[in-house]
Amino acid sequence: MDNSEKANLKEASCHQAKDVCFVSSFAFAVLLYWLVNYAAWVNGFGQTEATKFPEKNWTSWAIGDFLKQKKSPDLVFLGSSLMLVPLAGCDADYTHKRIDGSQHHKSLYFEDVFSRKSGKAISTFNFALPGEMPSDADLITQFLLRHEKAPKIIVYGVGPRDFLDNLLPSPSATDPFHSLSRLGSVEEQASLFFPDWKERLNYELSKSVYLYGLKQDITCKANQLATSKAEKYIPLPQTEKRFSIFDRRALMPEYRPGELNVGEAFFRPHELGEREAFADNLIEYRKRYKSLKWDTYITQMRSFTDLMNVARARGIHVVVMAMPITDINRSLLTKQAWDVYRTGVRSFALSKGATFIDLDASKKFALSDFMDTVHLHTGGGRKMLDCLADTLSADRPTLVALGIKPKGVQLASGLRHATAARSPKVIKAARSKARETRLSLSGNKPL
Amino acid sequence: MEFNSLQYLVFLPTVFLLFWICPHRLRVPLLLVASYVFYMSWRPIYGFLIAGLTLGNYFLVPLITKTEKHKKLILGIVVAGNLITLAIFKYATFGMHTLKEGLALAHINWREPHLHILLPLGISFFVFEFIHYAVEVYRGKEPVKSLPGFALFASFFPTQIAGPIKRYQDFIPQLAIPAKFKWEYVDEGMQQILLGLFKKVLIADNLALVVQAGFTHPENFSSLDLWVIVYAFAFQIFFDFAGYTDIARGSAMLFGYKVPINFNLPYIAANVSDFWHRWHISLSTWLRDYLFIPLGGSRGGTLFTYRNLFLTMALGGLWHGAAMHYLAWGAYQGVLLILHKEYSKMLVRVGVAEKLLSSKIYHAVSVVITFHIVCVGWVFFRAENLTIAWNIIQKLAQAPIELAHFSAAQLAILQIRDPIIFPALVLILPVLMIAQPVVDWLNDKRFYLSPPWPVQVTVMVALMCLLTIFSPDTSPRFIYFQF
Repeated sequence: MDNSEKANLKEASCHQAKDVCFVSSFAFAVLLYWLVNYAAWVNGFGQTEATKFPEKNWTSWAIGDFLKQKKSPDLVFLGSSLMLVPLAGCDADYTHKRIDGSQHHKSLYFEDVFSRKSGKAISTFNFALPGEMPSDADLITQFLLRHEKAPKIIVYGVGPRDFLDNLLPSPSATDPFHSLSRLGSVEEQASLFFPDWKERLNYELSKSVYLYGLKQDITCKANQLATSKAEKYIPLPQTEKRFSIFDRRALMPEYRPGELNVGEAFFRPHELGEREAFADNLIEYRKRYKSLKWDTYITQMRSFTDLMNVARARGIHVVVMAMPITDINRSLLTKQAWDVYRTGVRSFALSKGATFIDLDASKKFALSDFMDTVHLHTGGGRKMLDCLADTLSADRPTLVALGIKPKGVQLASGLRHATAARSPKVIKAARSKARETRLSLSGNKPL
Repeated sequence: MEFNSLQYLVFLPTVFLLFWICPHRLRVPLLLVASYVFYMSWRPIYGFLIAGLTLGNYFLVPLITKTEKHKKLILGIVVAGNLITLAIFKYATFGMHTLKEGLALAHINWREPHLHILLPLGISFFVFEFIHYAVEVYRGKEPVKSLPGFALFASFFPTQIAGPIKRYQDFIPQLAIPAKFKWEYVDEGMQQILLGLFKKVLIADNLALVVQAGFTHPENFSSLDLWVIVYAFAFQIFFDFAGYTDIARGSAMLFGYKVPINFNLPYIAANVSDFWHRWHISLSTWLRDYLFIPLGGSRGGTLFTYRNLFLTMALGGLWHGAAMHYLAWGAYQGVLLILHKEYSKMLVRVGVAEKLLSSKIYHAVSVVITFHIVCVGWVFFRAENLTIAWNIIQKLAQAPIELAHFSAAQLAILQIRDPIIFPALVLILPVLMIAQPVVDWLNDKRFYLSPPWPVQVTVMVALMCLLTIFSPDTSPRFIYFQF
């Protein structure tokens, strides 16, 4: 190829050269884009209250309900569906009414049975959510269970999935995280919540680019505006049957899968012998337990200990309850995985001064108490709450925290301890200890 | 790695910076490494596939020029090697399944082996580029001397996964130019990338919600609804693929390289032949040059030409995917092209006035009819299988009856208020349709060649803001990635 050909090709490969001094339109656009972001930040464009969630889901309903409560509950339940299903189901049986999962956030049955056993009426709040991991429970404790909203007791039901789930890419991938992370800063734990560089980059971008950080809120507002305009200009046709959310779910199952509206998820009362057939969910759990993912285990165990440190600093007594699972589900775990889970939960709970109840080792639960290989049905749930009430009504730290005078214990000293624990000095000390614990848990070594 | 992902947001600027920092002699190796990183980020093992094909073609194709006696044989070996590779990865499962169904008709029960073959991304595109290279060398063009250059031709990351299908005579010489950095590359490239992302993320992905619902559950929609949904798909696939092409061309432009265009306002085509001059241009020209012409083109009688036309389009349909509905789509296009030729001849025979044919009304009616004919074809393309496609087409045919008793209550899309895209379609689709002739008019005015500087900046800032706010956390893959 001669030079003239090359020159022609060069001409063809490039955009027409300009004779005038060229200023980059893209560079200028980037500068202008930055200014737009700055102006939006200065004017607070698109900002909404943290508790005005763009999407209604299990977590947003629970948070909304919790913040509406005038008085802090005495006891808060934390956990995944392992806790949620038996607690809500048990209340459906107890009240003989359908329980709307989006609206019901307490355990009436436990309140009743505990008051009968301890002689003191207590209030409860159920913060157990589907898919809740220890990292989510930690955020609930950090952001919500504080100041005048701090309960006296946290009952946290854990299972092996909470620490060993292979299907969880990162702690920030859970449904509860999306709602909970709006309520406060996760900056300190960013490396824990966003271990993957793409997630971390996304997080950093959402912090540094104003419009990107508020995209969910702005999108939600734009959607509302578009909907209202559509109502005005494209009126809804008069039809015999309205298009419902259930029709939408059937039509578009992948659209907003986590959304939950009032009247969409009911726990129904069961008469004896009326229960649904046992569901085999082993295929799902085979995937969840596929291998012992140390990253997930260490991250979740750090959140678990952090939760207990924060609770302790706020004078909240924690009760850790190892939830029962079926033998067939347990058999999917390797011995090593089972051992690290059990030892980790037990030792950390006890070292943090929590009350540890090992329902799994209690041998009180048989296969007939379960609706699938991990979830207790309402009958099993009732049994679980009976056990819990039995244990807590005799557990001195719990009784002290609740202000019930246990036999042979000076109430005053207990109260003093609880009050002292809420002082800023103690909180600071506990926070630094929590940080130390986090540091000591860093690295990919088994605990 | 997808163009609309965070990885690409890091990858592209990194490669861009390194490219312009590097001396000219290191640029091709750098892009080659980057292209393999890009490709292997999906499934590393398939990096060996593209590398193997590259080496095979690089060493075998020049042999064509060495011998006059066996050049046809060598070409046959090279083309067969490429096609067999494509067949194994893309059509083996389909072939087994078709064979099984054929045997079942003869009451022979055969259990097909289950092949765990995952289609390598972009294989249909780079195999076509290799075949084009072999045929061009056979026709007398110079083979490529530089191995890195040739390897980059096949693996160049902007066009690697879904084209446009490049021509080596256009691409390879660009690598030899020791280009100097110009802001124009950035400006033009970034404008195209932003526009492409806008088309994909904000238009195609939103339309995808409607299309997915309509094609999965056609029974829930009326005939008129289905027409709207088919229109929506027509624009979804256009904006999805045109968006991809814009990003590909913009990315290439950042390095000072030009790759061919793929679209030229296809929905203002006045007939099917015109449509194929405007739709997926790099594929249609490839099919013309390396399938239709080698089959004999129009060098025989009418029937011979029509046979070639039909075969070319049917095989073009099958190229899109190993399934009967793609074959049906291709065959439909072939039949349409034949019918169009016959129609054109008939107009000449009957002696329709030239004045009428060149009138604006005739042209407008032709555009509308062509658009609808193309839309019917899209049903075959999008449906999961032929049965669903046929059900939808039957329902579409009932539109005149529904129109005769029209009421807004017939339209399910107006009743669905979340997602809002459903009722919004009645506004969005006309805008998208009108936008095509408007853009055509602007093209005539050569507006896009030199839009005023403030317009460029305003459009880019607006696109950046829109993309920042409305880009979803997860976006469906580009449709053409599956081919």
